[in-house]
Amino acid sequence: MSALTPTTALLAEPARRPTWWRELNAVVAVTARDVTLALRTPGMIALSLLMPIVMMGLIGGNLMENMAGGLPFDFGQFMLVGMIVNMLVMTTTMSMTSLIDDSDSDFSSEMLVAPVSRYAIVVGKILGSSFTALITAVGVIAVGLVMGLTLSLHAALGLLALAPLMCLSGGALAVIVMGSIKSKKAANLVVMLITMPQMFLSGVIIPIGSSTGVLFVLSRILPMTYCVDLARAVVTAGTPEYDSVVLFNPAISLLAIAGLTVVCLVIGTWLYARSERER
Amino acid sequence: MTPVIEVEDLVKQYKKTKTPAVDGVSFTVQEGEFFAFLGQNGAGKTTTISILTTTLAKTSGTVRIAGFDIDRQAREVREAIGLIFQRPSLDRTMTAEQNIRFHAAMYGLYPYRPSFRLMPADYRDRVTRLADIVGIGDGLFKAVAKLSGGMARKLEIVRSLVHTPRVLFLDEPTQGMDALARRNLWDYIDSMRRELGTTVFLTTHYIDEAEGTDTVCLIDRGRIALCCPPAEMKATMGAATLDDAYVAYLRSRPGLDATTLGEVLVESGVRR
Ligand SMILES: Nc1ncnc2c1ncn2[C@@H]1O[C@H](COP(=O)(O)OP(=O)(O)OP(=O)(O)O)[C@@H](O)[C@H]1O
Ligand SMILES: [Mg+2]
Repeated sequence: MSALTPTTALLAEPARRPTWWRELNAVVAVTARDVTLALRTPGMIALSLLMPIVMMGLIGGNLMENMAGGLPFDFGQFMLVGMIVNMLVMTTTMSMTSLIDDSDSDFSSEMLVAPVSRYAIVVGKILGSSFTALITAVGVIAVGLVMGLTLSLHAALGLLALAPLMCLSGGALAVIVMGSIKSKKAANLVVMLITMPQMFLSGVIIPIGSSTGVLFVLSRILPMTYCVDLARAVVTAGTPEYDSVVLFNPAISLLAIAGLTVVCLVIGTWLYARSERER
Repeated sequence: MTPVIEVEDLVKQYKKTKTPAVDGVSFTVQEGEFFAFLGQNGAGKTTTISILTTTLAKTSGTVRIAGFDIDRQAREVREAIGLIFQRPSLDRTMTAEQNIRFHAAMYGLYPYRPSFRLMPADYRDRVTRLADIVGIGDGLFKAVAKLSGGMARKLEIVRSLVHTPRVLFLDEPTQGMDALARRNLWDYIDSMRRELGTTVFLTTHYIDEAEGTDTVCLIDRGRIALCCPPAEMKATMGAATLDDAYVAYLRSRPGLDATTLGEVLVESGVRR
C-alpha cells in the first residue's frame, strides 16, 4: 500500500456531462448490471429456456392437437406469435422481482441516492429484465421450429424490433405492483396473479374478439393485448389471414402500447420511489 | 461563512412507532467544516443522515443541503453529496470494481463500458489509486461476496470517493477496518478537506476519530443535547480526551445516571 500523497491522491474530477447523456448512461449502467447478473447465473438461463418447452411445447402442442379444428386461420402460427409476446412480457415481469432483492441488499439505496431521475433507474431495471425475456422468446421460436411452426425472416425481424417496446410495457406494469411490495414471496405470488390471467385476457392462445363486460374492459387496458395484436399484424401483414386474427389497426396498437407504458411508468416510478423513502 | 447543511426542527416518526426517532433537531454546518454527530445506539444518527441524504422521507421540519431543499431539489442535493451508509449497500455478486464502475456511471463521471479494460484510462487510474489508499488493491477484481468484512467496507469508501462531493456524509465509516487503513482514510479525508474544502459530516462510535473535528453535536434519544467544539466539551467535563469527556457526559446526563452494570441493566429495563 502506498503512503498517502494528497496532491496526487486528489485527482481532478472529470467534467460532468449534459443531463440527457447522464440519464442515458445511468440506464445503461443499471441495465448492464442485471445483464451481467443473468449471465453469471447460467442456471437461470437454462431454466428460462425450459419455460418455452413447457408453455409452447406442452400447453401449445396440446391445444393444437385437441382444440384447433375448424378455425378460419392457422392456429399454430396464431399461438406461436402469441407465445413469443407472452414470454417476453411474462419473463420481464418475473425478472422485475429483482427490485425486491435490491431493496433487501440495500443496493437500492446506492441507486436511489445517485443524482439521476428515478425513471432512469426504473427503465434500466426493466431493460435489464428484458434480457432474459429475449432469450426465452428465442427459445419459443426454437421450440416452434421443432413443432414445425416457422416464421418468415421479415416477421422474425419485425418482432425483434418490437421486442424492447413490448418488454418495456410489461415491465412498466410490473413496477406498479412490485414497486410497493417488500417481500419476495408476496411478489412471486403477485407475478402469478398477473401473468396467468393476462395470458388469457390479452388473447395469447385464445382469440378475444368476442369478449364482453369485465373481460372486455380488462383486455382493453392491458398493454399486452395490443402487443399481441401488433405482433400478429406484423406477422400476417399482406396475407388473407390478417383480417381474421388482427383486431386493431397497427397504428392504434402502437399508440395504445406507448400510451399505456407511459402511464404505467409514471405511476409505477412514483410508487416505487415513494415506497423506498417512506418508512 | 456559508452554511452548507441547514436543519431546522427536523422530526421523524417511523411508521407504526409511538415516539419519534428524531424529535425536533436543529443545527447548521458551515462550508468546509468537520462536523461530528455523536450519540448512543438508537439515538437517531442514521435516521438524521438518511433524511439529509434524501433516502428517507421526513415527518416535518426543513432541511437545506448546499442551499437546496431536500424535497423540492432532491436531485441538486444528490449531486452535491457523497455518502457512506452504515449498512453495506454493495451488490455482492458483482466484483468490487464493477460496483465502483456502476457508481461512477450513475454520477455521470465516465461512460459505462462492459469491462474494466474498456473504461477510459483516467477511470482506471483513479480507481487503482483510491484502492491503494485504503488498501484493497488485490481485492478489486474479486466478487464482493468473497471479500472480508473490512475489505468490503474499504470498497464502500473508495466508491463514495470516486466522485468528489461537496458534502461527505460518513455513517460509521471505519467500522471493521484495520488500524493502518483507518489512518490512511483519515489522512485522505484531511487532504480532501484542505485541498477541496469538502464538508464532512461524521458519525462514529470511535470517539477519538472526532478529536480533530470543528464541532461535536451530541444527539440523545432524538434530541440535540449539546453542540460545541471538542475543546470546549473537554474543558467542561474536565477530561483529557474527547472519549473521556463523552463518557463522562453520558454518565452525568439526566435520566441515566447508572454507573454500574447492575444499574444500567435496571435502567434499560433488562432487569427489575
Ligand atoms: N425502519 C425503521 N422503522 C422503525 N423504527 C426504526 C427504523 N429504523 C430505525 N428505527 C428506530 O429509530 C431509532 C433511531 O435509529 P437510528 O438508526 O437512527 O440510530 P443510530 O443513532 O444510527 O444508532 P446506531 O449507533 O446504533 O447506528 C431507533 O430507536 C430505531 O429503533
Ligand atoms: Mg446508525
